[in-house]
Amino acid sequence: MSAHAQTRPGRAASSGRPGRVKRLLASEHLAGWAFVAPAVILIAVFALIPIGWSLLLSLQANNLIAPPHYVGLANYKTLTKDAAFRSAIGHTLIYTAVFVPVSVVGALGLAVALNRKIRGIRLYRLAVFVPLVTSTVATGIIFLWLLDPTFGLVNYLLSLVGLPQQQFLQDPNEALYCIAAMTIWGWLGFDVIIYLAALQGIPTDLLEAAEIDGASRWATFRSVVVPLLGPATLFLVVWSTINALQLFDEIYVTTRGGPLGSTTVIVYYLYQQAFQFFNAGYGAAIAYVLFLAVLLVTLLQLWIGRRRVYYSS
Amino acid sequence: MKRVVLILLSGALALCGCGGASSSSSTSAGAGNGHTTITVWEGYTSIETKAIEALAAEFNATHPHITVDVQFSGNSDYALQKVLAAIAGGKPPDISYLYGSWAPNIATNPQVVTLNKLIAEDPTFDWNDFWPSERKVATVGGKIVGVPALVDNLALVYNKQLFAKAGLALPTAAWTWSDFENAAIKLTDTAAKQFGWAYVNDASEDTVWRYWAMLWQAGGAILSPDGKHAAFDSPAGVKALTVLQSLAKQHAIYLDNGSDNYLGLFTSGHIGMLWTGPWDLATIAASKVSYGVQTLPGDANHQTISGPDNWVMFDNGAAHRQASWTFLKWLTSPSVDLKWSLMTGDLPIRESVTKLPEYARFTSRYPGIAVWVKNLANATQARPVTTAYPKISTAIGQAVQSVLLGKSTPEQALSQAAQQVNGILAVPE
Repeated sequence: MSAHAQTRPGRAASSGRPGRVKRLLASEHLAGWAFVAPAVILIAVFALIPIGWSLLLSLQANNLIAPPHYVGLANYKTLTKDAAFRSAIGHTLIYTAVFVPVSVVGALGLAVALNRKIRGIRLYRLAVFVPLVTSTVATGIIFLWLLDPTFGLVNYLLSLVGLPQQQFLQDPNEALYCIAAMTIWGWLGFDVIIYLAALQGIPTDLLEAAEIDGASRWATFRSVVVPLLGPATLFLVVWSTINALQLFDEIYVTTRGGPLGSTTVIVYYLYQQAFQFFNAGYGAAIAYVLFLAVLLVTLLQLWIGRRRVYYSS
Repeated sequence: MKRVVLILLSGALALCGCGGASSSSSTSAGAGNGHTTITVWEGYTSIETKAIEALAAEFNATHPHITVDVQFSGNSDYALQKVLAAIAGGKPPDISYLYGSWAPNIATNPQVVTLNKLIAEDPTFDWNDFWPSERKVATVGGKIVGVPALVDNLALVYNKQLFAKAGLALPTAAWTWSDFENAAIKLTDTAAKQFGWAYVNDASEDTVWRYWAMLWQAGGAILSPDGKHAAFDSPAGVKALTVLQSLAKQHAIYLDNGSDNYLGLFTSGHIGMLWTGPWDLATIAASKVSYGVQTLPGDANHQTISGPDNWVMFDNGAAHRQASWTFLKWLTSPSVDLKWSLMTGDLPIRESVTKLPEYARFTSRYPGIAVWVKNLANATQARPVTTAYPKISTAIGQAVQSVLLGKSTPEQALSQAAQQVNGILAVPE
């Protein structure tokens, strides 16, 4: 078929086959589809087919080794009674509740601070952005050493100011928050860039109008800047939430779900089931539950966003 | 404009097409003239890469009808996933290096070649020459699913300078747990950030297998003889875990987070003793630490634990099966295995290797290695060969970790883990 397409002369109109084919070839639709075809094919092969396949997988007892068999909704039924899955949900929710507000509010503050014309501003912006382009593995190793209870820099600094030594990633009560701190540090740059772009899109005449009306800087920020950043905030909240619910890499390179399962979040639990315990079908069921949860949360956020966010035209 | 579209379109189609075409290009060539090319997947790096390539070249030169194509398949941790993908794609390698812990799972795959018949029909192979721990790991419910590829075990490695500084006598083969505990505490100096011992505390199998060695030393067992119930929640199990609890309480153990910091801390003189295997020997020997190696301290006995890996054969037809078997037999024969050990420092996988005249060169080239070889006789037991093992390991990992972190007592931790394990074993495989 590809050979046929290549030998066809460029002037398709003169090929003597009028009608549907000709009209199709001449239409804008075909050109459009042809342009997106490579991407569509890649997405289909590497995303859509696996999504369909994993739905099938979630209805099977499948260890990826022996021939699978169909078990209906048994995997999903087991999930409802799985205490480890419930605690994984709990850890994910706690993490999300920390990660999303801290990174969004923190990024807003940083973006405002960086949205100024001062000496070396480019350097500061770069400093905020660098963690984002650092690989997760490198970040993980850096934090493992910084937070090492015996040889870590953080405990050394704590000892200098007379604060008690901490176990950090080795303490079941602290580990999840350490992970949150690490991921916030890692992702903050992204949120800051979005906010910076949005801040620079705010028309200066509105800010001047507020100033002329006698608004204080805080009042201007609260009543003019923050509402105008609404679309950016909505995007960041939705995106950060999805990101937080799918936390995996940072856990994998640092705590591996521990200590005592305290950082076993949903996706790490999924990984454990599918690739350590060889319950691929069960893992796929977890993936589907997570998928539906993410979809629901996102729809809810967008629905709230539509009613609350102000879009300037 | 249109032309561009058509070119793009045809390009995309060609892209799709080539995926299908390339997979069939590597089928064995020249089946008619009796020549077979077999593919071997391995995850070796540095010295071992050179060694396997040298041996494969030697085999190819001496076996005109077989060509062995050794392919690096990436980190061995992911070998199983890759092999499974290859099986699903209909083109598995003829032989792959796979961890011993995967044997029970891989045994359920119909494309894995069971070796019992090949071994029984070949008097020169001598299966019983392999160490007991290797044979146990490669045998799943009577089916032999792999040829041993690597064997190791845990021994006690100690820093002679720190022992001298603490005024301690060096460990002997007769050391008891209390000798060990006593030394660990004396070697600990919290102010100097110095620890008597290190323990991998990430609740992974690394945490678990050191505990199994202690459990066996105290005369305990992991599961009941029929394999249906937990047996580690015994006085022996509690006794072993209490040693860990007491040393952790006295800060005599450096709790490694799983990133193997213990090795750098040992070679920089912050840790007095390690329970480790020959894989750390090269690093330790290259450091300034003056080290010694001894068998593990004991209680009722001085057992250790071994983690053997296997060469697993996949069925790609009779000719490939025969050629693969010929290669594995050659690779694991005593004289070739000794060459491998000399090149890599890996322990010999057959007992008869240690009786070869050339063997003395191995022990003199790698100072300390002889203890690990001798210690193979102390690796008399193996972990349960069951597909449920990863789950059992996770339950024990949590139990040991909770005790090391002071979150529960040995009794509580073990009885909780036993409940979990009994639940896991109650589910039919």
